Amino acid sequence: MSIQDTIREQVTAHPVVLYMKGSPQFPMCGFSANAAQILKACGVDKPFTVDVLQNPEIRQGIKEFANWPTIPQLYIKGEFVGGSDIMREMYESGELKQMLDTAKG
Amino acid sequence: MTTPEAIEGYLRTGIVCDHLAVSGDGAHFEAVIVSSAFAGKSRVARHQIVYGALGDRMREEIHALSMKTHTPEEWAAIQAGS
Repeated sequence: MSIQDTIREQVTAHPVVLYMKGSPQFPMCGFSANAAQILKACGVDKPFTVDVLQNPEIRQGIKEFANWPTIPQLYIKGEFVGGSDIMREMYESGELKQMLDTAKG
Repeated sequence: MTTPEAIEGYLRTGIVCDHLAVSGDGAHFEAVIVSSAFAGKSRVARHQIVYGALGDRMREEIHALSMKTHTPEEWAAIQAGS
């Protein structure tokens, strides 16, 4: 299975997937820490997260998958939602919580 | 070291900007970009336009870039509201 297939499988197998540096408990980058905190604030206590620092192939592959050069990256129901700036904007406007509530339910 | 001025230059080369402000410390940067190129585009598509203008520099020189992207109309509304 190619790395792109692995990523596609991950993002479709779980309703909410966050690719980040480190873990929600031990984030290794401020942007990843923010992203995990925003999900928590939206009521997603245990998102499926992938630590790209543990997997260099995914770290590179995820950038190609979404044509997006930075991490974190959030996927909801298989769809790329955005990075930390977009997550913050959508959190502040209430859009993100709405999307997450729909995805969970 | 990359400067905010250098990033401004890269962005102006790739995007016609009505307003552009970049600040940062050499590793982390923040940009406010106002362009009619963003009209009708999703947030993701807007950021992809910006990343496209920066190209490989996003991988090599710039560790982190936080950005706000607005159309001229959105920007005028923000200015009027503040």
